[in-house]
Amino acid sequence: MILVAILLLLIAGVAAWASERIAGANAPRWVSLFAFAAGLAWAFFEYWHGAVDGLYARQAFAWIPRFGINVALELDGLSLLLVALTMFLGIVAVVSSWDETENGHGFFQFNILWVMAGVVGVFTAMDLFLFFFFWEVMLIPMYFLIAIWGHENKGYASMKFFLFTQISGLLMLLAILALVFFAHGATGELTFGYAALKNLAPNISADIRMWLMLGFFVAFATKLPSVPLHTWLPDAHTQAPTAGSVILAGILLKTGAYGIIRFAVPLFPEASREFAWWGMLLGTASILYGGALAFSQSDFKRLVAYSSIAHMGFILLGVYAFNEQGMQGAVMTMIAHGFSTAALFMMAGALQQRLHSREMSDMGGLWKHAPRMGAMTMCFVVASVGMPGLGNFVGEFLALLGAFESSVWLAVAATAGIVVAALYGLYLLQRSFQGEPNPNVRALRDFGAREMSVMILMLLGLVWLGVYPQPVLDLSATTIAGLGVLP
Amino acid sequence: MDYLWIVPALPLAGFVVLFVTQGRLPDKAVACVGAGSMGLAALAALFVGGAFVRSGASEHVATLWTWMAVGGFEPALALYLDSLSLVMMGVITGVGFLIHLYATGYMWKDHEEPEGYSRFFAYMNLFVFAMLMLVLGDDLLVLFLGWEGVGLCSYLLIGFYHKDPANGYAARKAFVVTRVGDTALALGLFLLFWEVGTLQIQGALSQVASMDQGTATLICLLLLGGAVGKSAQLPLHTWLPDAMAGPTPVSALIHAATMVTAGVYLIARMQGLYLVSDDARHVVAVVGLLTLLTASFSALAQTDIKRILAYSTMSQIGYMFMALGVGAWSAAIFHLMTHAFFKALLFLAAGSVILALRHEQDIFMMGGLRKKLPVPFWSMIIGSLGLVAFPLTAGFFSKDAILLTAWNEAGWLYWGGGVLAAGLTALYTARMMFLTFWGKVNTEPHDYSHANFARPNMWLALLALCALSIGGGWFGIGVLDDLLGPVAEVDSHFSPVALITMGVPLLMIGVGWVLFGGRANLTNLFGFAFVRNLRRFFSSGWGFDWLYNWIFARPFVWLVKINKSDIVDWLYRIIAGCARVFHYLSALTQTGRLRWYAANMAIGLIVLLLFAADWL
Repeated sequence: MILVAILLLLIAGVAAWASERIAGANAPRWVSLFAFAAGLAWAFFEYWHGAVDGLYARQAFAWIPRFGINVALELDGLSLLLVALTMFLGIVAVVSSWDETENGHGFFQFNILWVMAGVVGVFTAMDLFLFFFFWEVMLIPMYFLIAIWGHENKGYASMKFFLFTQISGLLMLLAILALVFFAHGATGELTFGYAALKNLAPNISADIRMWLMLGFFVAFATKLPSVPLHTWLPDAHTQAPTAGSVILAGILLKTGAYGIIRFAVPLFPEASREFAWWGMLLGTASILYGGALAFSQSDFKRLVAYSSIAHMGFILLGVYAFNEQGMQGAVMTMIAHGFSTAALFMMAGALQQRLHSREMSDMGGLWKHAPRMGAMTMCFVVASVGMPGLGNFVGEFLALLGAFESSVWLAVAATAGIVVAALYGLYLLQRSFQGEPNPNVRALRDFGAREMSVMILMLLGLVWLGVYPQPVLDLSATTIAGLGVLP
Repeated sequence: MDYLWIVPALPLAGFVVLFVTQGRLPDKAVACVGAGSMGLAALAALFVGGAFVRSGASEHVATLWTWMAVGGFEPALALYLDSLSLVMMGVITGVGFLIHLYATGYMWKDHEEPEGYSRFFAYMNLFVFAMLMLVLGDDLLVLFLGWEGVGLCSYLLIGFYHKDPANGYAARKAFVVTRVGDTALALGLFLLFWEVGTLQIQGALSQVASMDQGTATLICLLLLGGAVGKSAQLPLHTWLPDAMAGPTPVSALIHAATMVTAGVYLIARMQGLYLVSDDARHVVAVVGLLTLLTASFSALAQTDIKRILAYSTMSQIGYMFMALGVGAWSAAIFHLMTHAFFKALLFLAAGSVILALRHEQDIFMMGGLRKKLPVPFWSMIIGSLGLVAFPLTAGFFSKDAILLTAWNEAGWLYWGGGVLAAGLTALYTARMMFLTFWGKVNTEPHDYSHANFARPNMWLALLALCALSIGGGWFGIGVLDDLLGPVAEVDSHFSPVALITMGVPLLMIGVGWVLFGGRANLTNLFGFAFVRNLRRFFSSGWGFDWLYNWIFARPFVWLVKINKSDIVDWLYRIIAGCARVFHYLSALTQTGRLRWYAANMAIGLIVLLLFAADWL
C-alpha cells in the first residue's frame, strides 16, 4: 500500500499537469487536493487498521539484487505520524496558494505532488539506497518551486538551496556507500538494507564509524538546519512561494530530523553518544542564535524563517539528550512546529499577496482591517512562543526536561531561549497587526472561508496536541523503543 | 466536590463563546456571557467550597486525564482542593466576578476601543480560567500551564488599547520580564523532577525530607525566581508600573487582586520544600523587605494615580513575601485576601475617577472631587483605610498579623522595616487622597453620572468590595483560622510593640494632612537640588529601568542589529566568491584564438613530459 500511495502522488502530479490544458487553471488544484485528501484518508485507515509487530504497513521486493538493493518500505508509528502530517500539509499548501500562481498552474501542482511523493518515500524507505533516491526526488521539484514561482531574488535563493542540499546529499551518499563497503569488508555481506546494516555496523572500527556518523549528521543537520549550516534557509523561505514555504518548513525540515532519529543515531549508537554533547551544543546554539537573528529581522517571512531554526534546535537538543523525554520532545516538536510554522508562513504569503510587501514597516495596525487574520496570527505566535496548552509547549518542555538530565548547563542556556522566543514572537505581532494603523494600508481583504477552514484545523490540531498528546506520544514510543539506543 | 472542574470550565466556556463569535454578539449578550460565566463560577465555587468544608476532608483530588506519559514523567491534568486552594479559588471567583461586573459598565461604549468589548471579556474570562488552573493544579506542570496562561492574558490586556505603541511596549515588557522569571521556574521544575521523579505537588513534597540541603535551597531559589517575576518583586519588578497601561479593571483583577499574588501562592504551596531550607526562606524574607521599602518610597514620588497604586501593590506583596520568609504562612495568605479586597476597590474607584475625568490620571490635575464624585470618594476612603491598616479594617488585621509575627519570629529588623513601610504607606495614601479629593478643582469632571449611580453594575461592585474591605478581616479571623491554622500568635493588641505597629500609620496620616492637605507649601523643600534629585530617583523606581536598559536591552539590541545579515553567511559568501573568481580566471583563458590554445597545449605537454622523465 505504501508504494501505491507514493505512486498515487506521482501519477496525480502528471494528471494535474495534463489537466490544466483540458479543464483550466482550477483543475490541477482540485486534482492535488483530492490526491492529498486520499493520502490522508489512507494514513488514517492504516492507523485505524492497527499495527502488526509495530508496523502499520510494509512492502519489500528486490530492486537490484546484485548489490543487495531492495524496494523496502515500512510504515511504523513515527513514519505514520510524519506521513499523515505530510498529507495534511499538502492540503494546506494547495489551499494556501490557491490563487497565488499566475502561470504554469499545472506544473506548479506537479512539483508540489512530486516533492511530497519524495517525502513519503523518505519517511518510509528501509533501504539506504532507496532512501537516497527519494531524498533526491524531493529536492528537484522543490528547486523548481522556488526558481519559477519565487519572488524577486529567486535565482539566488533557489541556487543556494540547491547547492547546500546537493553538497550535503553528496556527503550522505558517500557515507552510505562507505558504510555499505566497510560492512561488506568486515562481514562479507553486501546490503543496503536498514535492519541488516544496523546489525553489521558494530563490526566496523570505531574511528570509521565516527566519520560515517558525521557524514550522515552533516547531511541531516544541513536539512534541519542547524547552526552553522542554516544560511540557505532564510533565503529559500523568503523567496519561495507560499506553498513552497509551507512545505519547506512544515515537512522538508522534518526529513532532516527524521534522518537523525532514524539513521544517524541508531546506525552508530556509540559514536552518537560520544558526539551527544556536541549535538546538544549545536541545538542550543541554534535556539539562541536563530532566535536572536529572528528578533533582528524586519521582513515578516524572514523572521518566521529564523524562528524555525530556533525551533529545530529543540529537536537536536532532545534527540542528543539520549533519554525518552528528550526524544519524545523532539518528535512532538516536529509535529507541532509543522502546524504552527505552516500557519505563520501562510499568513506571510497572504500578507504579501495583499500588500505586495513582506516588510513589517509596510504593515502595522492591520488588526483593524483584518481581525480574523489578526486573531489567527496571534494564536499561532502564541503557540510558537511555547504557551502551555498548545502542542509546541509539550515538545519544547519535554526536550528541555530531557536535556536537563544530560547536560545541566546546556539545558539552562537553551531554556533562556524561551525568553528570546517571547521577544521575537511578540515583536512580530506588534509590528504587523497591532500598533498605529499604517496610513498606506487603506483596506485589506480578510481571510475567507477557504483560508479560515485550514487555519482552524491547524489550531485545533495544536490544541489537541497541547492538551492530549498521548496518542501521538504512543505512536512514536514504539518507534523510539525499536531504535534500541535509549537506556 | 466532584464538580470542581466546573469552576474553571465556566470562564473557559465564556472565553470560547466570545472567541468563536469574534465580536458578532451584541454588547449586552457579551456582558451576559462575560460577567455571567464569572457569576456562575463564583456560585459553583461557593457550592464546591461548602461541600468541601462540610465533608471535613483535608484534601480532594479530581483527576481529569493523564496529560502525557513519557518514560516515568506522567503529569496528570488534575485539580487539587485543600484549604489553601479553596481560599484562592474564593478570592479569584469572588473578587473576579465583582470586577467583571464593574467592567461591564466601565468598558461599555468605551471611546478608545468601541469594538473591543467582546475581545476584552474574552481575554478576561481566559485569564480567570488560567488563574484557576494555577491555584487548583495538582501537578506543578498544571500550575505552570496556569502560570504561563495568566502571563499571556496579562500581556493581551495590558496591550488592550493596542493602537498606541507605548501600550504594546508595556505589554511586551511585562511578558518578557516575567518570562525571565518563568525560565528560572522551569529550571526549578526540571531539577525537582530529576530529584524526586515527579512534579505532582503532594508526591514531591512528601519526598523533600530526604533531599540534601543544597539541592533543596537551589530548587527553592529557582522557584523564587519565577515568583518574583510574576509578583513584581525585586529584581524583576520593573514591569508592573508600566502594566498600568491596561484598562483599569485589568489592573484591579490581574495586577492587584490575583495574578501578581501567584508568586505568594507558589511559595505557600511549596511550603514543605521551603521548610527544608532556612537559607531560601531567609532570601524570601529579604526580597520581601527590600521590595516593600523601595516600592513604598517610589509610590511617594509618583504623580499618576494608577502608578501610585501599582507601587503600593508591589510593597503590599512585599509584606506577603516577608511573611512567607519569616514563617507567617497563614498571615501571608490572609493579607493576600484582604489586599485583594481593598486594592481591587481602590483600583476600581480610581477607575471611576479616571473615567469621569476622561482618562486623566495625574493626581495634580485632580483635586476637590469629594463633592462631585461621592461614590468613588467614599469607596477610595474605605479602600485607603484598608491599605493603611486603619484599626478594625480588613487590612489592619492581616498587616498586624504579619508584623507581630515578624517581631516574634525574626526580630526587630523585619518588624522595623515593615513598620517604616507602613508609615510610608499611610503617607503616600494620604498624599493621593488629599490631592485627589480635597483642595481646589483642577479638572472639571465632564460627566460624573457614570462614576456615581448611573450604572448600577459599577456601584454595586464597589459596594460589595467596600463591605469586604471593612468586614473581610473578621471573616479572616473567623474562617481562615479554621482553614489555614491560626494566622498569628498575637499575645496582646496593647503591648508596646503592637501599639507602635498600630500607631505609626495613624501618625503618618496626620503628617500627610499637614503636608498635602493644602496648608503646607512644599515649594521651598523642592528648592534643594538634592531633594529634587531624590524625588526624581524615587519617581523613576530607583533607576532600575535605566540600569536594565543599559545592561541588557541596549547591548542585546545592538548585537542583533549589527548581525542582522548573519555573520555565518559570510563564510559561505566567501566560498561562493572564491568559486566565482576561479570561474572568471578560467573563463579568461577561453579567448577563441587557436594559436593561443596550441601554444598552451605545447607548454602543457612539455611540462608533463618533464614530469614523466623525472626531471622536475
